[in-house]
Amino acid sequence: MNFMQRAFLYCLRHKGKTLILFLVMTVISAFLLAGLAIRDASADAASDVQTAIGGRLLLEIETEGNYKFKGQDGGTTTYVYGGDYITSPIIDAVSKVDGVVGYNVEDAAAAYYAGVNFKYLPSGWNFGFTKYGDHSTFTACLSSERCSAFESGRYSLVEGRHLKPEDSYAILISKELADYNNLSVGDTVTIYDQFLDSEGWNPLIDMEIVGIFNGTEGTATGGEMLVDQLQANCGFVAYNTLFEMYKLYYENGVEYQSLTIYINDPTKIQNVYDKVKELPELKGKTLKLSMDTEEYQTVETPLETLGSLVNTMLVIIVIVGFLILVLLLMIWIRGRKKEIGIYLAVGRSKVSIAGQLFAETGITSVAAFAVSVLGSKAWIGKVGELLEGSAAGLKIEISAAYLPPVFLIGIGLIAAATLAASWTVFRLKPRDIFSKMS
Amino acid sequence: MIETSNITYSYDGKKPVLKNISVQFEMGKMYAILGPSGCGKTTLLSLLGGLDSPSGGKILFDEQDIEALGLAVHRRKNVAFIFQNYNLIDYLTPRENVALTSKLSSWPILERVGLTEEESRRNVLKLSGGQQQRVAIARALASDANVILADEPTGNLDEHTAAEITSILKECAHQMNRCVIIVTHSGELAKQADVVFRLKNGELAQ
Repeated sequence: MNFMQRAFLYCLRHKGKTLILFLVMTVISAFLLAGLAIRDASADAASDVQTAIGGRLLLEIETEGNYKFKGQDGGTTTYVYGGDYITSPIIDAVSKVDGVVGYNVEDAAAAYYAGVNFKYLPSGWNFGFTKYGDHSTFTACLSSERCSAFESGRYSLVEGRHLKPEDSYAILISKELADYNNLSVGDTVTIYDQFLDSEGWNPLIDMEIVGIFNGTEGTATGGEMLVDQLQANCGFVAYNTLFEMYKLYYENGVEYQSLTIYINDPTKIQNVYDKVKELPELKGKTLKLSMDTEEYQTVETPLETLGSLVNTMLVIIVIVGFLILVLLLMIWIRGRKKEIGIYLAVGRSKVSIAGQLFAETGITSVAAFAVSVLGSKAWIGKVGELLEGSAAGLKIEISAAYLPPVFLIGIGLIAAATLAASWTVFRLKPRDIFSKMS
Repeated sequence: MIETSNITYSYDGKKPVLKNISVQFEMGKMYAILGPSGCGKTTLLSLLGGLDSPSGGKILFDEQDIEALGLAVHRRKNVAFIFQNYNLIDYLTPRENVALTSKLSSWPILERVGLTEEESRRNVLKLSGGQQQRVAIARALASDANVILADEPTGNLDEHTAAEITSILKECAHQMNRCVIIVTHSGELAKQADVVFRLKNGELAQ
């Protein structure tokens, strides 16, 4: 009868001990699996955050020292910015830098439009600023998807598409405004621009609605006095529209004061920063470049903390698991001195006896491991729910990749615990075991 | 043949329990070593069985030093023990206990020592003392060992069962050509032996 057969019979006929060991090993392997799953989930989440948030560079005009005296009118002295602006060739060069995944210009309330063939949602007072009624503000942007209201999730597109850098005479309006005027994507609205009118140009401009967003619902407090104090009345307009409408004012072509540059991996922001900084298109220009990783740092810190907490937890599980196993096995093995003495007397080697002790725990542990893996679907969701408060969005799953490490850790634990627990008996001579036994 | 050559043994390194014992045990005979409690009988049996090493001298099996052979190998190949308190593995059946020392079927040998088919499948703890000792003997007989070392094998048994066990051991020596060495303080058991040694003051005398 070999040691495996003996181990199997022992497990079979000492059901109480086997059950206790089974439960202990199930708990240890469940904790190990959960620990590994949480560790990987937090690593995945950190990676997702890196991709989702990315890093940002901010390119803007350097105002300091670049304002020049323009003239004096009575008591008023006028200074104008005399430095460089961000132009299309610069944006084009920046967009081609390795690591750059996008860019945007976002100017809040850059345009004021009154509705000609549509009406804004009414506010408290109607001032009648223009002959077509009150005007509301529009945010001018290159990519509306990158605008803060959409990135933060405050607004989301429900119909149509976002504004793109190449768009002209295109707008996004709120669902509330669209519903109020029975408008939909593809419709053309006519706006009135008072500034164009004052300059003697055609003030009536047609704009195409390319997208409708929601998120303004329920934001009105009822105390809004002006039309543009209602978020539902404020929209987004493609930046090119402004250059087209006011082209006489942009004698040098397209010019921006600031540009937000998006990169895919904030950990490589320095590298991208250096590349952008070295672009020939920026050399000698009165533009300044800065890094913005604040958002990433805000999210990264709790994830890093969770990752390090889980690593510590894994070490504690291994140590506590080892100690519990040693304690259990030590108690049980000391109670089996007689049996060990008998095996030695019938010529079994200490290796064979240790093999049996190891196999007994091993057989039970394999069953416990299988149960904790198969049952993981039931309890891993609970772990996710428990963590939801501290680390929302963690996708905790038991992957097949965890099985070898957990199995190996378990085997290592069992081997070390068996050796440690049986050492006090094995270091005795067979006759000493018998004399202690009797 | 198993023999001792000037073996001595002491627990503390000072007062010897066994003094320069040289003795030969041959196959086909049953030996009894008589002596009062604490005289060193079990110690001598343990040394012969390789459960311990002598403080001095050698133990030879077929002229080979058992220390050189390896005590575990000696225990596995050359000797088999029968203890006063049976020393069976308590979670195994008689058949499984016998299977510890032999790859052959356990049942014939258990039948030979007087167990029924049903008894051979019970847990050993559910057998009487006599039945357990029969299982212990069967385990010793099932092994290939030529030397059977029995420590007070009838000590816990009633007179009738003791006589049966003694008979089996005699049969084992004479019909199976094994060397059976029994340590006992029972004069009745010793009378059944072919050769009787007396252990007194650490010295062995015939």
